[in-house]
Amino acid sequence: MNKEKIDEHLASIKEICVDIKREVVVMEVCGGHTNTVMKYGLREALPSNLKLISGPGCPVCVSSQKDIDNMIGIARSGVVVATYGDMMRVPGSTTNLEALRGEGAKIHEIYSTTEVMELRKKHPDIVFFGVGFETTAPMTAYLLKKGVVVYSVHKTIPNALKVLAESGKIDGFIDPGHVSTIIGSDAYKDLLVPQAITGFGVEQVLRGIKSLLELIRDDKKIVVNAYQEVVKESGNPKAKKLLDEEFVLVDSEWRGLGVIPESGLEVRSDALNAKVKYKEIIDKVSTPKKTACRCGDVLMGIITSVKCPLYRKSCTPKNPVGACMVSEEGSCQIYYKYGK
Amino acid sequence: MKALSDERVSLAHGSGGTEMNELIKKLGLSFRGDWKGFDDDSASIKLENGEELFFTTDSYVVDPLFFGGGDIGKIAVCGTINDLLVQGANPLGISLSLVLEEGLPIKTLDKIMSSIRKVSEETKIPIVTGDTKVMEKNKVDKIIINTSGVGLGKTLNQELVVGDKIIISGGLGEHAVALLAKRFDYETSIVSDSKALVKELESIRSDIKLAKDITRGGLASILNDVAQKQSVGLLISEELIPAKKEVKRVTEILGIDLYSLACEGRLVCVANKDKAERVIEALRKFNKDAAVIGEVTQQDAGKVFLQTIISKRLLPTPSGRIVPRIC
Repeated sequence: MNKEKIDEHLASIKEICVDIKREVVVMEVCGGHTNTVMKYGLREALPSNLKLISGPGCPVCVSSQKDIDNMIGIARSGVVVATYGDMMRVPGSTTNLEALRGEGAKIHEIYSTTEVMELRKKHPDIVFFGVGFETTAPMTAYLLKKGVVVYSVHKTIPNALKVLAESGKIDGFIDPGHVSTIIGSDAYKDLLVPQAITGFGVEQVLRGIKSLLELIRDDKKIVVNAYQEVVKESGNPKAKKLLDEEFVLVDSEWRGLGVIPESGLEVRSDALNAKVKYKEIIDKVSTPKKTACRCGDVLMGIITSVKCPLYRKSCTPKNPVGACMVSEEGSCQIYYKYGK
Repeated sequence: MKALSDERVSLAHGSGGTEMNELIKKLGLSFRGDWKGFDDDSASIKLENGEELFFTTDSYVVDPLFFGGGDIGKIAVCGTINDLLVQGANPLGISLSLVLEEGLPIKTLDKIMSSIRKVSEETKIPIVTGDTKVMEKNKVDKIIINTSGVGLGKTLNQELVVGDKIIISGGLGEHAVALLAKRFDYETSIVSDSKALVKELESIRSDIKLAKDITRGGLASILNDVAQKQSVGLLISEELIPAKKEVKRVTEILGIDLYSLACEGRLVCVANKDKAERVIEALRKFNKDAAVIGEVTQQDAGKVFLQTIISKRLLPTPSGRIVPRIC
């Protein structure tokens, strides 16, 4: 870490904010960025007219309650399933996967999809609950290529940004770093909002904020790639091809944001689609109930986590009500973890 | 929706953070007789001759059983020895209790026993009693080890004052990273820090006010515990906290918090500012990364703050489980 560089960025940010005069609202889309912001206490060091808000870039947090309930239904029926650790505690309407495992359901927590291939030797009918943005989706596509049945809640970022941009409350986005390595900087071009792509180190985040503020000041509605070390214009063609081969782009429900057109990745093959294979089970799963949880407003950047009436009261990492409190990347858990 | 996991024990209860503390409270075991230090590393009781008898116990489960720099046997014995040492005791003897899974290769057991033997011989702390149970295949995951230990000595827990220095005996996160690397099949030069801290404690005991070994819950959990029990504020500085470059990189890649990671052979101690230099000098003989990482402060009683390269932020007690990020 380079203290001089950091101070330099902070000074530039201060200067640009003076130039802009009014309040500037910037959303860091990705949970990884939110984590860096909190980890270093970045907000405290930024000018008072710059408001950083945390967006929907936590894949677990935006999975709809209906999808979680469906997965719980499948796991409860005795099917052997595998998913990432983050998914285990996302609340459905009555329980979560971790509690279900405590009751005896066969749920394997994995870190890498190669573990699914290992598990499959013992459990040929294993179902993988695939979650994540364009970063983890290629690994799920690999499993599909190998014939593993998948329940996909994979989502894609660009159209979600469009919905957020249309809310008119956000001046610009810090675009996600890892997602961009796959989809490339060109993927954000159609979105006429100032954006900067950047990495996750504190210096990179500051560099991203600085580049973004310059665009906002100059009223340039374009995307700047401040993460050229790893993000190319066209992204990762191999991964994109794999996604195209195994998934189709569909309308998808995001927790708190509602249905966003062409923002979900659905399994192309019906034979490998758990939603088709286990349709009978899913049809019997009851619809979710509403709570006072304001995850949706948090994801939209309408309120910060601390403004939610449940935050730190009935909603804690131990007993999360909303998905934003479940995941390491969820803005509520990140706020909680850093003692806000 | 209310309390999803209220009805059953969850893995978070075993992560050494706030959930575990709440669970312990719920257990409702409040009769302690004349014993003190129930929630410390060892409990102690005053003997008629004025000496204190210390007693501690710990159960060990770890996946994988073998990792760079150690195995379940080594950490099981070192952990209990360290729990006695940091509380001020000279360990007298250790008990060893094994729960084995039917079908476990004797070879595996031999390997574990030989590292237990090695620690016992090197530290000259004998294994004096034990027990073995075997459970049916799949009823237990390979092996569970419980060790208990007793020792004699004097409780090491003096009052902290503003300006006292917080000292760490070596780099953070090495045990956790060695374990994660093995689990996720990464190549790494990092090996577990697992170690009995007998010599370290011997050389610094007279110069320090208190010591804690950094285990589950990591540095964050231990410092918060000290701050709360002593009603003092603690301020540590990120740039002073030793951690190998590779450790930092792995934690960044996996998105896990360095300050919540367990060690198996590191201690944090507090010393008067005039004695800090001597303590560091002594500790560096065993590990060159030993360092002063912060101090006791006037304000923020009961809290721990971390000075980052940007600003000062709260370092709370970890909560929930440590799960790698997927994005």
